Parts: sequence; structure tokens; C-alpha cells
Amino acid sequence: MANTWGYGAMTNSLGDIQNAKAIIIFGANPAVNHPVGFQHFLKAQERNNAQMIVVDPVFTKTAAKADIYVRIRPGTDIAFMYGMLHLIFKNGWEDEDFINDRVYAMDDIKAEAEKWTPEKVSDVTGVPADKLIQVTKLYANAGVGTLIWAMGLTQHSIGSSNTRLAPILQLALGNMGKEGGGTNILRGHDNVQGATDMGCLSDTLPGYYGLSEGSWKYFASSWGVDFEWLQGRFKSPEWMGKKGFTLARWWAGAINGKDGNDQIHNAGTGLKNLFVMGNGITSIAQQAKVKEGLDSLDMLVLCDPFVNEAAILTDKQDDVFILPAATQFETSGTVVATNRSVQWRTKVVDPLYESKTDQWIMFELAKRLGFYDEFTAGMKIKENKKDFTWPEDATDEIARIIKTIGLTGWTAKRVKSHTENWHMFDQISGRGYGKMKGEYYGLPWPCWTEKHSGSPVLYNTNRSVAEGGMGFRNRFGLEHDGTNLLAEDGSAPKNSAIEGGYPEINKDNIEKVLGITLTADEKAKIGKNWKVDKSNIIAEKCMEKGLAPYGNAKARAKVWTFPDQIPMHREPLHSPRADLVKEFPSYEDKSNHFRVDTKYVSKQTEQEWVKDFPINLVTGRLVNMNGAGMENRASKYLAALTPEMFCSINPDLAGRHGIRDGSMMWIHSPEGTKIKVKAKYSHSVTEDRIFIPFHFAGHFQGEDRTSNFPAGTAPYASGESANTVTNYGYDIVTQIPETKGGLCRIEYAKEEA
Amino acid sequence: MGEFARLNFYCDEHRCINCDGCSVACAEAHELPEYISRRKVITMNEGIENMEYSLSIACMHCTDAPCEQVCPVDCFYIREDGIVLHDKDKCIGCAYCLYACPFGAPQFPLDGAFGTKGVMDKCTMCAGGPEETNSHAERELYGQNRISEGKVPVCAAMCSTKALLVGDSAEISDIYRERILSKGHGVKTQPYGWDVAYGKKM
Amino acid sequence: MKKRYLALIVLLSTFLFGSKADSSIWGTDLLTHILEYDKEGSLHMGYWFTLIQSTYVKPMLLFVLIVIPLAFIVHYLLIGPKRFSHEGRSIMMFPLFKRINHGIAAISFIIIVPTGIIMIFGSTFGGGAFVRFCKEAHAISAPLFFLSVIPMLLTWFSRMLLSPKDDLRWLKIVGGYLSKEKKPVPAGMFNMGQKIYFWIVTLGGLVMIATSVALYFVDFEIIRPVLEYYSLSQIDFLRISALTHNIIGIVIVAMFMVHIYMSVFAIEGAYKSMVDGKMHEEEVKILHSTYYKELQEKGEV
Repeated sequence: MANTWGYGAMTNSLGDIQNAKAIIIFGANPAVNHPVGFQHFLKAQERNNAQMIVVDPVFTKTAAKADIYVRIRPGTDIAFMYGMLHLIFKNGWEDEDFINDRVYAMDDIKAEAEKWTPEKVSDVTGVPADKLIQVTKLYANAGVGTLIWAMGLTQHSIGSSNTRLAPILQLALGNMGKEGGGTNILRGHDNVQGATDMGCLSDTLPGYYGLSEGSWKYFASSWGVDFEWLQGRFKSPEWMGKKGFTLARWWAGAINGKDGNDQIHNAGTGLKNLFVMGNGITSIAQQAKVKEGLDSLDMLVLCDPFVNEAAILTDKQDDVFILPAATQFETSGTVVATNRSVQWRTKVVDPLYESKTDQWIMFELAKRLGFYDEFTAGMKIKENKKDFTWPEDATDEIARIIKTIGLTGWTAKRVKSHTENWHMFDQISGRGYGKMKGEYYGLPWPCWTEKHSGSPVLYNTNRSVAEGGMGFRNRFGLEHDGTNLLAEDGSAPKNSAIEGGYPEINKDNIEKVLGITLTADEKAKIGKNWKVDKSNIIAEKCMEKGLAPYGNAKARAKVWTFPDQIPMHREPLHSPRADLVKEFPSYEDKSNHFRVDTKYVSKQTEQEWVKDFPINLVTGRLVNMNGAGMENRASKYLAALTPEMFCSINPDLAGRHGIRDGSMMWIHSPEGTKIKVKAKYSHSVTEDRIFIPFHFAGHFQGEDRTSNFPAGTAPYASGESANTVTNYGYDIVTQIPETKGGLCRIEYAKEEA
Repeated sequence: MGEFARLNFYCDEHRCINCDGCSVACAEAHELPEYISRRKVITMNEGIENMEYSLSIACMHCTDAPCEQVCPVDCFYIREDGIVLHDKDKCIGCAYCLYACPFGAPQFPLDGAFGTKGVMDKCTMCAGGPEETNSHAERELYGQNRISEGKVPVCAAMCSTKALLVGDSAEISDIYRERILSKGHGVKTQPYGWDVAYGKKM
Repeated sequence: MKKRYLALIVLLSTFLFGSKADSSIWGTDLLTHILEYDKEGSLHMGYWFTLIQSTYVKPMLLFVLIVIPLAFIVHYLLIGPKRFSHEGRSIMMFPLFKRINHGIAAISFIIIVPTGIIMIFGSTFGGGAFVRFCKEAHAISAPLFFLSVIPMLLTWFSRMLLSPKDDLRWLKIVGGYLSKEKKPVPAGMFNMGQKIYFWIVTLGGLVMIATSVALYFVDFEIIRPVLEYYSLSQIDFLRISALTHNIIGIVIVAMFMVHIYMSVFAIEGAYKSMVDGKMHEEEVKILHSTYYKELQEKGEV
């Protein structure tokens, strides 16, 4: 998404969904994963008579509340969306003015959409043509529609294309920058948005700054740390700018290409030590490989309030350390919600037993590794103090430094005041009143200055920048192939000094673009561009002129740096349609993809997978469980709701394999792994697919490993991990695993005595 | 709440998503054993398009409660605000209240010697029991007493989508009406079970 | 070994959890039962149970407990007991096996009947531990009764069959108990009154056992196929069982009181037969005249 218009986050908010007249959900299950947030969907249905369309391979609890349910074959969302675009352009339902003023390269999309007739779409996706027509007609003519997605769209080998075509669909309909519209990705866990904002990814620095030398230098000086010293921490200067391993494939680094595994590019060494804070190891695809990776490590450290099941999965006997971390209730700090709002969390109780807060663990580690001073220097800079106060100074450090997403306004004081006064905000718009007038709850970023209200609806040109309005970000240059990439006249935010588009502001063009003159003092202090402007002069001046510091450009439907410039449908690596694999093959294999050679088309065509593995494997979530499930399976009543790992299977499919309701069955994967789970008859899946929840761990390929738990730490419920049988497959850009599109084979499990 | 208000439960099947938040909250708040299910969520026609719906069921604290009418040891007492409670010390575990109840609210631990049913347990609308309010004994036998602290029963407080409501019947009727009229239903005239629990009124 | 232990725990846990999910009362069927409660086309058992149990059961029992003893007191004062001579031979009527059988039944009834009455009037006794104890005693004696009623049914079956010629006549004269005379009464080894009592207690007793098992265990699957055949839900089955149990119970209480009066008061010294199994010749000649003739024909008298 960021490659389409600048920022890759939910554009509106959950409360704003109540303004929608139509809601279309691709591969998300908010009734299960956001039960409280789902209230907004239901209220939209009640108050607006909003029609909710759910597109999902499984009839989920969300689908049960839908007005229209569309059962789609996993991995064919691009085909479906092109089908919608085909009809939209054919019938003239697109918003021409919006496209002219604010979108680049929609014609390329139009050309591709031409090919996707309802019949073609029906063949590829399994959705009847008339249903496609019904859905598109309803959604396109609803007035304002919001598009929701989650892992169902992202966890594919073409996930990055999926998440570009969905915004393009909304752009075509002119649903962006409107209340009740937008592309609303529902982040799954508490503070995932905060984690990605802070750069817990291997290809960005905090705040999505890239790994260029300029970024590093900015951070070094912002932290009060010597750049050379920072550079010296890497094997050589060039490694400072290289992307690291991902969570999806760190284990390939540990295995280091042995025995036919993918080769790595890691300066000649394998991955030796792994320090894990939180979940994540057992919720990643290909657990058999993960286990191999764990076994190959020199040292493994797991920090979590509950025993991370990676500890019992591995056969490693030595140098495995389990550190008890404290929970969020035992410490204070900020979290960021899926709608980019920040909230303060206050400590409720001191850390229990011997557990320590995450920050204590990291500080102690830094001390022993010898860089504690550098590590904490940044927190003391603002007030030039000798000692820092956690977490207020950390929060202020973030606000001081992160400009890319406009966190300048997120001072600890402001954030706390919002949480203390959270009753003073409107549920739907987030607007504050009384004491909090002029602010939106949680100051959704970008919050350009310490006075800024926050931006609840991104790209909304009906508001002034000071009140959260803005155009699309100028991130991709001023023009491409001769076409102007800035927004056309008439599409600037309200009260803007410039009526149309303008570039992102930097030291060199600020006077010209804004039509102002800087004082000598300002000229001395101002940063090179708005992203590294420590003085915040650029942002302040922009606010005065009603301009967004990041410019006002067109969103681009074509990403000329991606392998597929416009999103193209490609079959999943393990596809049940061998004929379509020939027509829509996957990408060329990619070497050095986050340091690991990753297979695409070679894997897809290695054999005709569907012959031996005819069933679609769909993974998903349960309402009473979260992530890898360690925490919830240790809670008595939550575990009692689903005490065993199971597989939702269509009764007809089960019958053909002699599997009764409640009997055990094997699921075999193309990677050669298998799991033994209990069958649960369900009509929510059709005969060509099964559904398994991914929250269980503790058993591995039929073997119960829970005896490995230290005494008294085993959860109430354990089971096979779905990820033992999820297939090989990673997104071409982000390397997210293709856990939502895979194949498997099932068979009845004979009971042992 | 009016002076003569009676507290009713209402579960909106258009909003209930079977998140089991209510049943888990109840079990946690009152530290129930796993085999007692004061509140449960039932889903009908699971997986079948346009037919699946879920409801959260517990004691409805009926007007003219049939359980109270049939109890041989008269262990029930009905508060002025309509909450139906019982005395576990008097209860003999005969299960007549279960037979009389239209909602299957009475639960039995089935844990006595020779498999006898044990004393009855049911939703107290978080109003405790005949023991002294907020005493240890009350907490052990009946669970938390939130009503005495002016709080809403924990199931309705917890409900993710505000499908489960509890309160004065007039107020709840207003909320219900508002919901169905704006969506344009108008077909059903009462929430499920209200005619049985509270007589034919909305 | 560990696997088996684990499998057992898993099995048990699914039973605990699964029993509620598959429970015929608290499972998925619950919603159907709620929706159909007291609706047209249903059996209305919930309504009937509540009505009958709350309004009629106690008064009916009270009526029985008051009127029957009252009637017998009046009878005893006006007519008095029948006295038979203890001269002459004693005829063995009830061999040891039958006496033991009857004795066990008697003991079980002595526990079952009063505890049943106490339970129905539970509130008068203040509920709580005492009534709970009575309930458990009631339940424990039921298997005891079951043990005795089957042999009784089998061994006394032929003698208890109705004989058209004697029994209707016996009924017309109420067995001769409404007069002080000692005229021979048409009856075989057992008279009509005894036969009525027998059949009510055995057949009714079996029904009582069946319903009591249902009421005791409440949540079971084992007869589900049968219930489904009759489109009867488990909860309605329980409601019918409860009503049947209580109504037949009241009938049995009434009959039991009659039996006590007849065997202890109305015929002087009759209770001794329970112990030694014998009846004196005059009593047999008068009260069981047909049987006496039979014995004469056989030459035993």
C-alpha cells in the first residue's frame, strides 16, 4: 500500500466504518479477530443499512452476519478484483474526476481489467458470474464504500500485489479520503501497528526510514551517537544498508543452506544466536524447518511471560534460555491501534514472581554487551538530563525523532491526557470535545506538530491539513514517463495555499513552494528535508500555509520498481488448478530475498502438486485464541472452549475418507510433514478445502512433546501446530508466508492401542 | 432505572457473534468449575448461509418464575427488581426447577456421591445470594455480587458487540426497537424468549 | 503408559466439555426447546409440569394423607378389626423366599414413602440438609426396591392374575370389611384388594423406578434413539417423568396406607404372617374361601 500512495496503514478508523454505506471484506474475519471492533460493522448495518459483503474461502462468523457472502478459491483475489474493475469501467461506475486529479496510470489497470470478464473470473475464482455482478453493482453504487482486509489478502506469494489492487479498486471508485470509505486493514494483535511503526522489520529503521546512509546518519545524530561507531557495529559499512532476515525465514539462516535447503547470503556465516522477545516462532509456516533451524543454533533465548513453545519444539539440549518477561499490565508505555491512534497504558501491578519488564531485560543486555550509554542516550537529549525516566522519555524520544509518519505530536504529556480523558471523544469520528476539543482521540498519525489534531482519515482533502486533511504523499518523484505525478489543480486539502499538487518539502524548495522567506536563523536550523528536520520548522511552516509536509501527489496504480508493475494474478505456488498454473505462473525465483534464495516458479512447477495433494488448506483463527496461543491455552476457560486441535471438514469430504465427526485424521503437506488432528464436521467449508486454526503447539507430527515443558509451565491445552503443514511459499516483496493458500492430503488416522 | 423497574436480559441475535466473551467472563468472575455453565452461547445452523445465528442463554429472571413455583423446598426468592435467586443451603438438588425452566438455566455439578446431582447453580445476574452481601461465604457459593456495587452483570458488561443487554425492560425495548427499525426488519415483534420469560410485552 | 494417561485425560476432558456440548438438555438442542416452549403444536409439557407441580401435587397428597387415615379411623371405630381364632392348624402361605422378598420390599418402602412425602412437603421441613438426606435415602432405597419387585413380580404372578368369578364379587362386597360378620369371602390365595395393591405396586413401581432413574441422572444419551422416534425431547421426557413419578407416587402412598391399615389393624395379628408365613385355618376359610376349597381338594386341609 505504501507503494501506492505513500503510507501503508489503515486509512480510516474502526469508528468511521459506521459511516459506510457498503462494506466489502476480503480475507478478514473481524467477528472472530476484532469482536469488539466488529460492533462498528454491525452498527453500520443497523444505522446506515450498509450492505456487508464478505469474500472468504470459508463461511466464517463474519460471513454469518454478511448480507452477501462470496466463497472464493484461496489466492484468487486479484482475479476477483479485476473482475470488479472490469464491470466498474464497463458500466462507467468509476469516479472519473478523482482518477484524473489524483491517480496515475489507471489506464494500465483498465487495460488489464478488460481481460477479466465475469466468465473468466468465475473460472479462476470459483465465484459465479452473477454473484460477481451483484456484488460489484451493489458496492460501486453504494455512495461510499469501505474495503477491509487482513491476513487473508496479505499472506500469499502475491500478497504485495493483492494489497495494491485493493487500494486501486477504492481509487477507481473514488472512495479514498472520505468518511465511510478508505482501505482499512485490520491489524491483528494489540500494538502490531506500534511495532511496525517502530521498525521491528529487517528492512527499515524506526518510522519506516530506509536503510540508506542518510537515514542512519539522521538517527545517529538524533540519538546523540557517533555514526562511525554505529557503522562499526556491522561487519563492514555495506552491510549497514542491507536488509536482514525476516521472521518468516530466519531459520534458513540458521540451517545455512545445508542438505539442499535454500542458500543464504549472510557474509559467509550462518545465523548463530537467536534472541526472541514475544511470540512468533511457532506461528510461522514450515515448523519442521523452524525446528531444524532451532536445532542448528548455537544459542536460543526466549523471553515471554509464558514458555514459548519453541523451547519444547527444539531438540537442542544446551544453551536454551527461557527468560520470564513481564506482561503489559506490569509496565507502562504507549501502544498504537490499528487506526494509527496512540494510547497510554498504565502499570497495574508490579512484575510478578521473577519476571522482568522487556525494557529491563534489554537494558541489562545492553549493559553487558557494552553499549548501554549509547542505547539510552537518545532519551536524555530532549531535556539534556543525566538520567532518563521510562517510559515518558522514550515516548518523547519517539516524538522528537520520527518525522516520516508525523509522530511529532505524540509527546508523553499529550498521549497521557487523551487516555485520561477518553470519555471526552466521539465514538464514530474520534473528535474530542470540552477539554479535548480540537484533537482526535489518540492523535492518529501523521500528527505533524505538537499542536496538531491528528489525522483520523488519511488523504482527506475535505479538511485542512491542520485538522488532519492531506492529499496523497509525494514519494515517487515529480513525474514518470512524462506524466505529472503531482495532484491536479482543485484537489488540494481545504485552506491550502496551493490549489493543486506540490512536491514534498525540503530545505531547497520550501521557500519557493510555500512562497515564504526564511530567516537566517531558520535557514541554519532547518533540516535537509521534512523527514530529517530536527527543528520541525518545515512542519510548522507547512501548517501555517495549510500544506502537508510530504507533498500532494497522485496515487500510483503502477509501481515501476516491482516485479509486476501493475498487480497481476499468479496462481499460488501450490495450486489446485494445474491448467491455470500454466496460464498464470508464479514469479521467477528470487535470489537474496532478505538474504535467502527463495523459490517461486521452480517450486510451483516441481510437480503437479494437486495430484497428490488435492485439498485446499485454509488456516485461520479462533475467537478464544490469539497468535501461537501460548497465553490463551494457559487460561482455563478459554482452553475449555477448544481443548484440542481440530480441523473443520465438510461432512461429505470426511465421509469419503472414512473420517467420522470427532475421529482423528492425518493432514499431509507437500513438504513431507504431517499432523494428527481431530476432525470436526462443519458446513462452513466446502468439499475441496479444510480449515485449521493455527493457535496450537506442543505436538509435532503426531508426537506429544509437552513432556519437555519445565514442571508446572505446560498450558491446559496443547495440540499440533497448523504451521507444521503450511506450505513453502513467500511473498515476492515482503516475504510473508503463503499460509492462506496451500494444498494438503487427508487420511483417516487409525487409533493406536 | 425506575422505582418499579424489573431487570431483564436480552440477547440480540443480529449482533451475537459467538465470541463466548459472556460465558468466559461469567466463568472467570465467579470462578466456576468447568462443568458448570451458567451462561452459554449456542449457534444454530452453523455454516449455512443466511441461516446461521447465535444466542447467549442463561437464566432470564422471569416474571412469575416457574422455577420458584415448583420448588419443593421453596429455596427461591425473587427480589423487587426482578432478580430470581435461590438459597443453596436449602436446595436439595431435585431438579424440578430445571424441568419447569423454559431456558435450561439451572445447572447441576453432578458431582455428588453415587452420581447425585448436587445443589443447583444458576446465573444470579451477579447479585449473589442470601448470604451477607459481599461476604466470603456469598462469594464462595454464588460468585461476585456486582449489583450491590451498582455495576452491570459481567456478561453484559463484557459483550463485545453489545448483543447482550441487561436492564430495565422499557429501556431495553427502546434499544431493541431502534435497532430493528433502522435496519428495516419489522417482522419479528419481540426478542427471543421474551413472551415466555416476561409475558407478552416488549 | 503416559500416552494412555493422556488419552484418558483428553477423553475425560472432551466428556466434560463434550457432554455439555452434546448434552441433550444444555447443548445445541436447548435453543430449539426454548423456541418451542408452550407454542402451538408442542406438547406444552413445560406449562403442564409447572401448573400441576405448583398447584395440585401438594394438595392432592395432603388430601390423601388426611382423608385416608381419617376414613380408617372411622372404620376402626365403627366396624373394628376382624378377629380370627388362633386355634387349629396354621397353613403355610408364604415360604421363606417370599417372606424375605416381601421384607426387603417392606424395608425399602418404609424408607421410600416417608422420604417421598417429606420431599414433596420440603418447605415445611425447612429444606436443607435434612430434606437432602431424605432425598439421598429415597434414592438409595430405590435399587433396594428394584431388587425386590422383580422376584415378587415373577413369583406371585400367577396367583395375582384376576379371576373373574371371585374378584368382581369381592369388590361388590368390599371384601366383607364393611360388616362385622365373618362370612366366607370369595377370594383365591390373594383377594382382589391384594391384587389391586400388587399390580399397582409392581407395575407402578417399575414405572416409578424408570422415571426415578431418568430424574436422577437427568442428562443422558442412551435412550435418545427411542425419544427421537417419538419426537420427544429429553427435557419433555423429564417433565413427563417427573409428573408421572409424583402422581403415581401419590397413588402408591395412598395404597401403602391402605396396605398398612389392612395388614396391621383391620385383621388382628395379620402382620405376624410376614414373619412366619403362616395363616390360621379360620382366617383362610373366611378371607380366602376359594383357596381354602382348593386346599381341601388337594387334601392339605
